[in-house]
Amino acid sequence: MNLVQQIESEFKLYEHQAQKDDFFEYRKKAFQTFQKNGIPTIKNEEWKYTNLSKISEIGFQTSCVSNLDADALIKAGILNKIESNKIVFVNGCLFPELSVWLEDDPSIICTNLAKARKEHAAIFENHFGKYLPQEEGLNAMNSALMSDGAFIYVPAGKRMKYPLMLTNITDANESNILQQPRNLIVIEKSAAATVIENYIAVGENSSFTNVVNEIFVDENASLEHYKVQRAKGNSYHNNYTQIVQNANTNINQVTLTLDGQWVRNNLHFNMNGENCNSLLYGLYIPDGQQFVDNHSRVDHAKPNCFSDEKYKGILKDKSVAVFNGKIMVHLDAQKTNAYQRNQNILLSNDATVNTKPQLEIFADDVKCTHGATIGQLDEEPMFYLRSRGISENEARKLLLNAFADDIAEKIKIPELVQILEEEIERKL
Amino acid sequence: MLKIENLKASIEGKSILNGINLEIKPGEVHAIMGPNGAGKSTLSAVLAGRNDYEVTEGSVDFLGKDLLDLSPEDRAREGLFLAFQYPIEIPGVSTTNFLKTAINEKRKYLGLEPMEATDFLKFMRSKMEEMEMDKSLTSRSLNEGFSGGEKKRNEVFQMAMLEPKLAILDETDSGLDIDALRLVSAGVNKLRNPDRSFLVITHYQRLLDYIVPDFVHVLYKGRIVKSGDASLAKELEVKGYDWIKQEVEAAV
Repeated sequence: MNLVQQIESEFKLYEHQAQKDDFFEYRKKAFQTFQKNGIPTIKNEEWKYTNLSKISEIGFQTSCVSNLDADALIKAGILNKIESNKIVFVNGCLFPELSVWLEDDPSIICTNLAKARKEHAAIFENHFGKYLPQEEGLNAMNSALMSDGAFIYVPAGKRMKYPLMLTNITDANESNILQQPRNLIVIEKSAAATVIENYIAVGENSSFTNVVNEIFVDENASLEHYKVQRAKGNSYHNNYTQIVQNANTNINQVTLTLDGQWVRNNLHFNMNGENCNSLLYGLYIPDGQQFVDNHSRVDHAKPNCFSDEKYKGILKDKSVAVFNGKIMVHLDAQKTNAYQRNQNILLSNDATVNTKPQLEIFADDVKCTHGATIGQLDEEPMFYLRSRGISENEARKLLLNAFADDIAEKIKIPELVQILEEEIERKL
Repeated sequence: MLKIENLKASIEGKSILNGINLEIKPGEVHAIMGPNGAGKSTLSAVLAGRNDYEVTEGSVDFLGKDLLDLSPEDRAREGLFLAFQYPIEIPGVSTTNFLKTAINEKRKYLGLEPMEATDFLKFMRSKMEEMEMDKSLTSRSLNEGFSGGEKKRNEVFQMAMLEPKLAILDETDSGLDIDALRLVSAGVNKLRNPDRSFLVITHYQRLLDYIVPDFVHVLYKGRIVKSGDASLAKELEVKGYDWIKQEVEAAV
């Protein structure tokens, strides 16, 4: 059974349940969209270099059952060193016993979707499903059959004291796993939070994780958002993060793609008020036959906003990377400052990068730049370092760390920076 | 210390060095002068181990080792240092981290324990004082945004840190104003001692007013065509290179 057939049959099963969940109407509509639009193919310009056909033939199961000692797995992970609130999902299902809550203010909320829908109905209804472009086939697929996910709510004027670690574990020990996490983050006026999405995987089988994040950041609020992709093995991962920000907001988003057989990150900023700052940074270090695609879109809809995007890649072996960044400066968005760069270093003759920085400007008083580079490690710095007694290997490490440093310095959590350094060390 | 015999080298099939013979003993300062295109920078590049050049003939003995057989890093670890004509800017690599790595890689090669962090910092501070380097240097990225003078001074500072046995200065005076030239030369002179040798490559005589050589050699068409003492440099300053060219052509 291919993926489309599976979704159809699973939806039929769901539809015929006597007891349907609160999302029935929403799911049904999304399912219809999915039936209409299906899974994107390479004929779609946005998916030109990113082929889903192989994945859709694999055949997955949705299953919450896991014999995994998730607690031990998390404790062994380096991110565990970060003192943080924790919420953990395994194969899309909440593992409540692994939650850690350090905040003392009861008005700050982190729970799962099902509970949020019941206990915080007003806030939930205000935001859930309101921002996501549903016409994207994989988004519709998520909406139709989403597993579970986190609901994070920081009320006006409140500040989360600790980062929130949202860990998603794929346990593919028993079978090929399909999971569709769905997260909703609401940061109200003048509030602040840090969220780390942490993806890990175990098991020999394949998995497809299709995530949707809806993030709403109201006036004068700020958000630090990190996504760390470390799901090893035959894991396929698609992620759509839709961020809507109102006036005077600051968002720092860093995407680190380290492991994963196939990863597609879709990141969409909608700057819906004046004086917004949107920072998008990313680093990917694929090796072997890894495939990494970073697709981003920044909509400058209002005047006086600033966006800075920088994605860097270090590619080894036969890995393939795609970068597609689109900055849209709308008619109203005068005095926009928007910067976008994609820089790649290829460490092998067999690695490939397809990069497409895009800028569409409809306003006339703006400052925008974009550009992309693909190259090898420069000979000159290598020779300079070696001429001081530094071995070729150490010199390469120094230079790659320096290359990655641009992104590392955007990360405000030292443990995350440490992971990066270790990854570069490991990948070399 | 260094013995170059009949060294011939080419780049992309074009022969640049056509049989160089030169011996440098401990503590000596040799200057290599010559017109543009004589092969001066090629000589320094070949000695430092740049792989763009192909050595076609000859040998270079450095402290009893076959220099041409060593990788660039091993040449440095054996005590060779090249001060670059155009030092490279390396954003993201701090001078401190760079020097610590370089010193410890050398120590490892020599079978020594790595230097403790505190010992290293102490050592670096003392060298910075000695070479009158600005404190901000250590936290900055290697040569990033440095002026021409700062870059050359940083080369000499690195030399002080790495304590080479033989230092090659490749057109260190190029692009320097007179004040910067004085500062850089003063740094080099501080590093002169009876065990350390220098090979100073320059187009102009003015550097040799500050770093006074024991021997001056004129390189022309890839050969040393004339050798003398410091007065030869003065003579070249007055008469230019043409008379030497004529001498060479006449001899052919």
